[in-house]
Amino acid sequence: MKKRKFNFMWFSFYAFLLLIGASWYFVIGVEKASLTELFSNENMEYASKFFKGLLGVGEEEIAFLNQESWSDAFTLSIETLQMSIMAIGFSTIVMFLTVIPAARNVADGSMTLSKKWYRWFVFGLIRISYIFSRAIPELVWAMIVIFIFKPGILPGAIALALHNFGILGKLCAEVIEDTDSRPIRNLASSGANPAQILMYGVFPTVLPKFLTYILYRWEVIMRTTIVVGFVGAGGLGQQFKLSMSFFHYTEITLLLICYLILVFIADYISEKSRYFVK
Amino acid sequence: MSMFSFDLHKRKILTVFLLLLFVWSLLGVKWQDGVIHASGVGTASEIFMAMFTPELSANILALAFESSWITLAYATAGMSLALVLGLVFGILASGVLATRKSSRTFLKGSFRGLLGFMRAIHELVWAWLFVASFGLSPYAAIFALAIPYGGILGRIFADMINDVPKEPIQALQAAGASKLQCLFYGYLPSVKNSMISYTMYRYECAIRSSAIMSFVGLGGLGYQIQLSLDDLNYDEVWTFMYFLTIIVVLIDGWSSLLRKRMAK
Repeated sequence: MKKRKFNFMWFSFYAFLLLIGASWYFVIGVEKASLTELFSNENMEYASKFFKGLLGVGEEEIAFLNQESWSDAFTLSIETLQMSIMAIGFSTIVMFLTVIPAARNVADGSMTLSKKWYRWFVFGLIRISYIFSRAIPELVWAMIVIFIFKPGILPGAIALALHNFGILGKLCAEVIEDTDSRPIRNLASSGANPAQILMYGVFPTVLPKFLTYILYRWEVIMRTTIVVGFVGAGGLGQQFKLSMSFFHYTEITLLLICYLILVFIADYISEKSRYFVK
Repeated sequence: MSMFSFDLHKRKILTVFLLLLFVWSLLGVKWQDGVIHASGVGTASEIFMAMFTPELSANILALAFESSWITLAYATAGMSLALVLGLVFGILASGVLATRKSSRTFLKGSFRGLLGFMRAIHELVWAWLFVASFGLSPYAAIFALAIPYGGILGRIFADMINDVPKEPIQALQAAGASKLQCLFYGYLPSVKNSMISYTMYRYECAIRSSAIMSFVGLGGLGYQIQLSLDDLNYDEVWTFMYFLTIIVVLIDGWSSLLRKRMAK
């Protein structure tokens, strides 16, 4: 057994080295990407022009020194915040509806002391939907959702929720699998029905951990809101894209500042509330 | 008992507060104007039905394999850089190399701040900045992946190193080991496995991120999905989405195998 472990680890190690080598060979050898060209004089000129534009050097209207632009950006930031909360809300609701049958110890009946033939089927179905939902990035979901919904913060929230419900579902199902099943079996054997088992047995033990994961995902969602905005799903991202197309570079700086503030606020809240939950 | 009721109380307040926040966020949508396009429901069912009939013709499959490789290659190259960045900055940000207390605080503060900035900006925004300033090049994608992922890896590595139990390190110090020797013989061996697991998890995320680099004009699966969506070819869209899912599942399977082997 010891020997096999050793082999697999080394196999993985060499496979990764090979993969890294092949990737760099592909980038440098096949795609002919050159670093020196990246830093050619011409490019440096473009870059310095771009960064000067961002800082508003030689511009007549500087967005981040203008009170009106600040108040516009503030409205957009509030919209973005709403989008992120809506997204985490949607994915939490769907996660709660699906997470119980998605736990392995519920599916095999060891948790509730009752076996049903359809449990494994439901388990498989939900787990496949989790895998699928988290394998597709938010941006791709947003591109699809925008075909169905009118532009605004709702499609953005739905796209973010579609990606995150899979991740939340997987994480939370693992929490249920790791819970101590003895108190719950005790409830079941003294005649509690499934709803009672859920309310008095499962939820009190898993909710603090669920909340930690939800807050962690919210922090990640906050960071991604700007990206779903690129395809027209509202918030700071949409304005970012527009300003980029009109070459209003100082507006981009302003939007980036607002975005960074939001991300740091989300970081701070999620870190602090973890202590609160504990 | 009083402690318990306080806890319950606290939790109820928190639940009500979070629910109110969610309701407030729903108010941000103009529901009365209608939220779905006139043809939205039809499009939705078309997209959904296409899920069962992905396009499997030879040239689409060939294209899918090629773009999968591009996606994988950018992710791997970006991740290898991110790993180097994460290791170097993570070790520096953990402050274990500092000799004095004041220099340790300085090192920790400055490098943690730097890592925080690196990961605060989403990889696609980095990509956009790179493309806008340096032009279209695979390096834009690779650097855009490497910076935020390096930031995340570095922060987590630093936390892991800081959580190492003190006793083995003290034993090394008592035997006269230098700071560097402590690092290589004390800290790193005890966090190696957690580092590998976390890196594998991030690698899976990097593949998804690399797929959406297309959005700034760099090839890969996301680019093909975008093209097919623009042509309203939903069957092709699903083919590429399935390919992306398969890569992610493969990496996920590999990392869970590795984790199981390391746990033994």
